[in-house]
Amino acid sequence: MIELILMPLAAFVIGLAMVLMMRRIGARLQRRVGPPLLQPLWDIIKLHGKETQTSHGLIHELGIVMAIGGFVAAVTLMPLPGMNGLAEQGGLIALVYMMMIPSLGLALGVGQCANPNGSIGISRALTAMLAYDIPMVIVVFGVAFFYGSTSLVQIIDAQQAGGFATWGIAEMPLLAFAGLFAMQAMLGKQPFEIYVAPAEIATGPMVEMGGKFLGGLFIMQCFQLYAAGALYTLLFLGGGENWLTFLIKVFAVVAIPMSIAFLFPRYRTEDVVRLVWKWPAMIGLLGIAFLMY
Amino acid sequence: MTSLDHLVLVSALTLALMLLFGRMRIAGRLAVVLYAVQFLLLMQTGALLGEPVASSLTLSVLDLQMHWRYDALSWFFAMITIGAGFFCAWYAAGVWQERYREEGHSPRLFHVALAANVLTMLILLGSGDLLSLFIGWELVSWASFLLMAVGGGPAGRAALRYLVYAFSGGMAILAGLMLIYTQTGSLDYARVLSLLGELSDGQVWLLLLLIGGGFAVKMGLLPFHLWQAAAYAETPGPGSSFLGAISARMGLYALIMLLVAMLGIGRLTAMEVPFTFLSARDLIAWIAALTVIIPTYIALQQHDARYLLAWHGIGQGGYMLLGLMVGNAVGSAGGLFHVFTYGITQAALLMAVFAVVHRTGTADLNKLGGLVARMPLTFLVLLFGIISLAGLPPMAGFVSKWMVYRSLVAEGMPLLFVAAVVGTLGTILSVYKLIHNIFLGQLRIEHEQVREAPLSMLLPMLGLSTLIFLVGVTPGPALSWVAAVQASLGLPPVPYTLGGIEDPRGGLDMLWLVGILMAGFGVGALIFFGLGGRSKRVHQLDNYAGGHFLTADVRYQYSDNFYAGLMHLIGPWYRGAFLWLEKALTATVAFLSAVMNGFYRYAQPALFVLATAVALLALTTA
Repeated sequence: MIELILMPLAAFVIGLAMVLMMRRIGARLQRRVGPPLLQPLWDIIKLHGKETQTSHGLIHELGIVMAIGGFVAAVTLMPLPGMNGLAEQGGLIALVYMMMIPSLGLALGVGQCANPNGSIGISRALTAMLAYDIPMVIVVFGVAFFYGSTSLVQIIDAQQAGGFATWGIAEMPLLAFAGLFAMQAMLGKQPFEIYVAPAEIATGPMVEMGGKFLGGLFIMQCFQLYAAGALYTLLFLGGGENWLTFLIKVFAVVAIPMSIAFLFPRYRTEDVVRLVWKWPAMIGLLGIAFLMY
Repeated sequence: MTSLDHLVLVSALTLALMLLFGRMRIAGRLAVVLYAVQFLLLMQTGALLGEPVASSLTLSVLDLQMHWRYDALSWFFAMITIGAGFFCAWYAAGVWQERYREEGHSPRLFHVALAANVLTMLILLGSGDLLSLFIGWELVSWASFLLMAVGGGPAGRAALRYLVYAFSGGMAILAGLMLIYTQTGSLDYARVLSLLGELSDGQVWLLLLLIGGGFAVKMGLLPFHLWQAAAYAETPGPGSSFLGAISARMGLYALIMLLVAMLGIGRLTAMEVPFTFLSARDLIAWIAALTVIIPTYIALQQHDARYLLAWHGIGQGGYMLLGLMVGNAVGSAGGLFHVFTYGITQAALLMAVFAVVHRTGTADLNKLGGLVARMPLTFLVLLFGIISLAGLPPMAGFVSKWMVYRSLVAEGMPLLFVAAVVGTLGTILSVYKLIHNIFLGQLRIEHEQVREAPLSMLLPMLGLSTLIFLVGVTPGPALSWVAAVQASLGLPPVPYTLGGIEDPRGGLDMLWLVGILMAGFGVGALIFFGLGGRSKRVHQLDNYAGGHFLTADVRYQYSDNFYAGLMHLIGPWYRGAFLWLEKALTATVAFLSAVMNGFYRYAQPALFVLATAVALLALTTA
């Protein structure tokens, strides 16, 4: 039981550090200094402490609750070193669908704001989800099929059995590449960040989100970064033998899309769909073809 | 008198009472009680776990014996049928019926149509041989037609279109039965079953095409899907709910009888499609997968809430057949279970939409918006429903879809798996549009005074929502029915637990998943409501965007062409090929009939009759 409290907590702390890393990478690439160590935490506290907290109704508020809650639940399905959490009770497929709950919550919350720009943002975000989830599930299928199991515990055990040679990335390099590609879009980072539209105040899903609404979404982002990094580590990098290797792996995984993000401009949403359906999906299917024949 | 006789007699009594007293105000409530009695009688038959129950009625036509019996499969479908009848009658029993009368329609006709549907479906589900199956099939077709047509206007046109499809399907089935009869000399299940193995592959293909095609019409499988959406959507409220929940599944029931019980998955796997590397089973699985994808993406383009849901209904049928065609324990259970989870989901969704229609007078997604504060409970029902329809945890629909996915992974079918997920993602997009355009966004000024749906309509909706959630948390009891059905069909039964599926290679336990999800929501609520400043709630009509106050008299709801970006890309893929095909067929038939007509009128009629007689004789002797 104690695991179920520790796992979301660890996810949150790691996620905070990932936000910091993201900002530091951005600063380094743009020749700035970057924020201090505790800045992400201060940001959350600051946003929660704001005096003006405009709510557009109960669903607006519950949307944020769902966005955080869905991830708190989802991270307990991803085994950590020494902790399996609920990985035995819900496997890979349940995890993928559990990670859609926060998106649904956010979509509902934004919807109630009655701001057409917010609704347009959600329409783009869901379109992008349709784009990146297809290579994502191809990857998930490939891994589950290769290891003959949808249980993440067994998938990790199989990978750790023979060192690097049995890691997913060594066994299924094409799927690993497709997964990385899909993750870039899943995180909503450049060149796929138009649906988040972080640079435009008046457009995108965040338009009516201020104060602790934005603070809640900040927390959600911490979980999201962690979840993406951890999922990729579990599927392709053999999970964590111990905490040290686990942390090195998840941070390395998340650093890749971050570094790419700051080098690119952006695509239009429909171009995202076209690009993601073409390359990672095709590469993923090719990877499965190699596995099966 | 067996317990099955009691059930059918009470169902017939329901029909008779509705005919006699349908005019009276009490009729609705009477129907609810009678459906409840039918439900109890069905429970009493014990056909699920025990031996099949036979009816004491047998008829013989020529040398053919007709009899009726209930086994686990019949019980399972009958349970959903009567349950749907019960909830829909409840929905209709109060305010809805009064409004319906005020609008100049006849509640009596509606109640009669609903009772006739339940009765004929119960008769069909009890068929003990192919002849009674065919007769039950035709009865169901006519009863559905009645329920579809009671609305009049566009409903009548849609119902007529259905009738054309149903007739063609019925004729195909009849031809298939002739084939079976000439080959085996009997229409009895047991006799046919024992002789079916001796048929050549070519004959089995013909059977699949004729009988399978005929049954597929009812289910709306591709390419016979065009009739269904309009026919179901235009039916009056609770009738639409009933049709959406179960009616098309009669086609699935008959397909299960043909494909699983009689031919068997093994035979289908052994049959190669000529000139391809596909087996008959793959072919049917792909038809199912395309039935998931194409109607789902047509639903995405609808701007009428009723049509949107009706199109999804066609798509969801694909998952059921897909799971059954995978054929392993989890997959076939997922397909069967989806009949139940989808049934309760679709009934609740359509009821919620019709509750909105009841209050606002429209189901046009471009003419609604912001109703969440006006109709919060209806919103909740729709929310539970869309989560279940999209197959997200923690609702019932997730469990059945999970089982289908899991089986596709276990059997190594990547493309079908991706197709199933593409359907699910399309569903998520489409149902978000549904809930957004009705309940979220800008409230229209004319809807400022709209009130929550009346209690008599709200209670059955909330009942179904509770069921959707409970089945999602503890699918075990419902899965025990499914396992019994599988056993009776000779399929491997699914290893279920109270919370889901037991599988050493990755199972599912919804008790834990829902528990952690609720705990997660608790943590989220604690963070959001516990920490930070108090939020100030602004009035629903007090909005501001892009540097302007958005006043209530300016319409700015983002609703039409909701996924403009996506449609920019996939829009050209919608070519209406099936519509074109239907039109071409209709035109051909019309042309041929005109030719024959002309021939009959202007040539010698006597010559015409003679030619026809000679042609018929030549055909029959050949």
